[in-house]
Amino acid sequence: MTIPTVRYTDERLPNGLRLLVSEDHLVPVVAVNLWYDVGSKHEQPGKTGFAHLFEHVMFQGSRHVAKTEHFALVQAAGGSLNGSTWLDRTNYYETVPSHQLELALWLEADRMGTLLDALSQENLDNQRAVVKNEKRSSYDNQPYGTWQEKLFGHLYPAGHPYHHPTIGSMEDLDAASLEDVSSFFRTYYAPNNAVLSIVGDVDLEQARAWVVRYFGPLSANPAIPVFDPHPLPLTLGGEVRETVPDRVPLPRIYFGYRAPMLGDRRLYALEIAAQVLAGGKGSRLHRRLVRDAQVAQDVAVFGLGFSSGPSVMMGWATVRPDASIETVEAGVFEEIERICREPISLDELARAKALIETDELGALQRVGERADRLSMYATLLDDPGEINRQLERYLAVEPEAVRAACAEVFVPDNRVVLTYVPAEAAADTTEAA
Amino acid sequence: MNALDAVEAALAARPVPGTPRPFTFPLASRTRLSGGLSLVTVNLPGRPLISASLFLPNGAVDEPAGEGGATVLAARALTEGTLRRDAVALTEAAERLGASLHAEAGWDATVAGVEVPAERLGAALALLAELVREPAFPQREVERLRDQRLNDLLQAKVDPARRAEEAFIETIYAPGTPYARVAGGRRETVATLDAVTLRRAFERRGDPARAALVVGGDLAGLDVGALVEPLFGDMAPSGPGAAEPVPLPVVADGLERTRVRLVHRPGAVQSELRVGHMGMPRQAPDYHAVTVMAMILGGLFNSRLNRKLREEKGYTYGAGAGFDFRRHAGPFSARAAVNTDATVPALTDLLAELYRMRDAAPEEAELRAARDFLVGVFPLRFETPGPIVASLGGLVTFGLPDDELDRYRPAIDGVSGADVLAAARAHLHLERLAVVVVGDADAVGADLEKAGLGDVEVVRDPDLSAEEA
Repeated sequence: MTIPTVRYTDERLPNGLRLLVSEDHLVPVVAVNLWYDVGSKHEQPGKTGFAHLFEHVMFQGSRHVAKTEHFALVQAAGGSLNGSTWLDRTNYYETVPSHQLELALWLEADRMGTLLDALSQENLDNQRAVVKNEKRSSYDNQPYGTWQEKLFGHLYPAGHPYHHPTIGSMEDLDAASLEDVSSFFRTYYAPNNAVLSIVGDVDLEQARAWVVRYFGPLSANPAIPVFDPHPLPLTLGGEVRETVPDRVPLPRIYFGYRAPMLGDRRLYALEIAAQVLAGGKGSRLHRRLVRDAQVAQDVAVFGLGFSSGPSVMMGWATVRPDASIETVEAGVFEEIERICREPISLDELARAKALIETDELGALQRVGERADRLSMYATLLDDPGEINRQLERYLAVEPEAVRAACAEVFVPDNRVVLTYVPAEAAADTTEAA
Repeated sequence: MNALDAVEAALAARPVPGTPRPFTFPLASRTRLSGGLSLVTVNLPGRPLISASLFLPNGAVDEPAGEGGATVLAARALTEGTLRRDAVALTEAAERLGASLHAEAGWDATVAGVEVPAERLGAALALLAELVREPAFPQREVERLRDQRLNDLLQAKVDPARRAEEAFIETIYAPGTPYARVAGGRRETVATLDAVTLRRAFERRGDPARAALVVGGDLAGLDVGALVEPLFGDMAPSGPGAAEPVPLPVVADGLERTRVRLVHRPGAVQSELRVGHMGMPRQAPDYHAVTVMAMILGGLFNSRLNRKLREEKGYTYGAGAGFDFRRHAGPFSARAAVNTDATVPALTDLLAELYRMRDAAPEEAELRAARDFLVGVFPLRFETPGPIVASLGGLVTFGLPDDELDRYRPAIDGVSGADVLAAARAHLHLERLAVVVVGDADAVGADLEKAGLGDVEVVRDPDLSAEEA
């Protein structure tokens, strides 16, 4: 099977905006995906959650667009859209019927160029309240909702840019001011800090003309601070354990390890290991803990790649009510030790590769995914061509490479273990009060 | 011209849309296998990942109340072993093809399907046939799936959205009628399920017109008919088994008056809100007008509910409303998770928006926004084979005409403001509402009483540890 090559053009406007265009005329839709090289890692102490709060402000209007009108115009055009913030970046995207491409480009340019004209205390306060409710919905009021904050808090030391969660803290969100918004915008939201990908039913010359017209006049920021990588030793240097009482009926064990940075070939071997360990019903952990011993409700293993510090390999296992936490934990770590010790079988490797191949084929069908990946590889690895090398990198992995990468990463003194346990006592106290 | 003037000159004028490139729903071919099963194929050039799904008429709605959850669990058990091989061997066989083999059931249908690269379609279809034609329902795996479902129900009790959903449906539907429970069933019935009940649920006969095998993707060089005839040709379209058809279930309204129920979640920092009532079936003649109405009320980002509760008040990360369209009357609900302090103010605003929907026809701009979105987003929805196959299967499940998807955009475009108002007046029953709040009863109970929506019933879930025993 061959995966179609994504052909694209790669150029920079004089103001530094990187433009990637890939034509595909199968369906009359086009994706616009704009990555800004700014994420929660850029936040200063006392200002956690700001990059994400700012992303919300980006939907509150600009000089020629009223509050909430960005969403209104794209949806009325038959488009889907959103934005997202993560440790390394913030992105904004629209997929629209192809005859509406110019609208999407104009909207992105208007807020890149003129956001501050529409900024108001009222809009900031409103979105601060919305984001605080997002934090409540997605984390504070969710079972096991604190795992990410705790896991990353242990994997990266205090002061490291990945130590704090993207959603931030309530106190820091409360403290965010209009001046913070303005200075963040002036610093990071400049064309020379962005990658714009356009993928789908588009004519290259027409797209380029529109981009030059709308983005061309925007000024670069010559003084974007350089963000240096924050390397850490690949291993944590000692196991960290925390027991977390929570309002949950089933205990759950989260485990996380520091892993090589994005772009390191070992990550592909580790992704294959994750598939062999917990990818579906044929995987080792599912077979052992869910099917055979019937002590786990579910298991998961996956990687999160980062570009300015160690990535994370992590997973969880939920413990059935009649099983012991210790049994499940022992099973998880025995299988992890085994994959560090013995090469996986050729059949396991072949199955993992076949599934990854199908996943790649499925993901790359969608213009939105292709645009996102072009922007991602350009922003994080300065090489959009990586989009066409992913599959070969997976297919090049051999059993010994999986074992070797696992043996480096999956070691006990490199792991954080969070054990969520039902907080019955705590709940009883609340009831009695 | 200085830099600022250049920016203004470039951005001052809004672009006008170009000419839409024509898009029609991909052309499907329909034929029958020798045993009568309907085969729908849709050729999508340039889409080498094929999606194939078998739609069967067995839905959870048709199962006896005492076996609630059997249909959903039966579908899940299909991938747990066949007469030829156990679950692990079946999974490994699919993985070697790079195929994801899956089966699930909902209220209206059981669907088993596979996504696979075109060159391995034949082998993947053979596995799909094995799955649905020779399921083993191994006792040990069935018991494990049952126990996992029971554990999942425990977890649902502490997930605010799932807890609210459960309390909402058991309030709006009469006890004992199908939709009063979740499709996966409640604890009392799930605990009694075994391999015999699962097999019976899977083999329940249904309307043969509601079964079809749908295959979509780049089919160049593939004779799908020849591939599937040896596998499914002798299959009876009424379902895999010979059990007698069951009479249509009664889905009955459970609300005689407005009921306010507060599920106590100690210390909750938000209240999860559900407001609504029994809705309407998918086959209703004013489906398109109701769809536009629901978009305006709670579908678009700038819907009335999201604009008010999120963008004006900041009470929530998102508010919405909609009808869950099923073969029988599924729920209508308005939803939001709001910070605890805002519980009563948010409910007040939410209710006001429901009433306003019935007071007058929508403004021209919001009507246009809703219609333009639904019409315009159509090609985006059908970019890849998966959603195309699912929609073609949906026509079969719901007994809708073959040209339903072609008629969709003109029908939406034809919805007027008067149609929306009529739909709101016909289908929003605001004098008999369920108002469900999952939140801290100690913090919001008194205010909720004072709000005067109705007597507040406080629901206190049993201690989690006691329930496990």
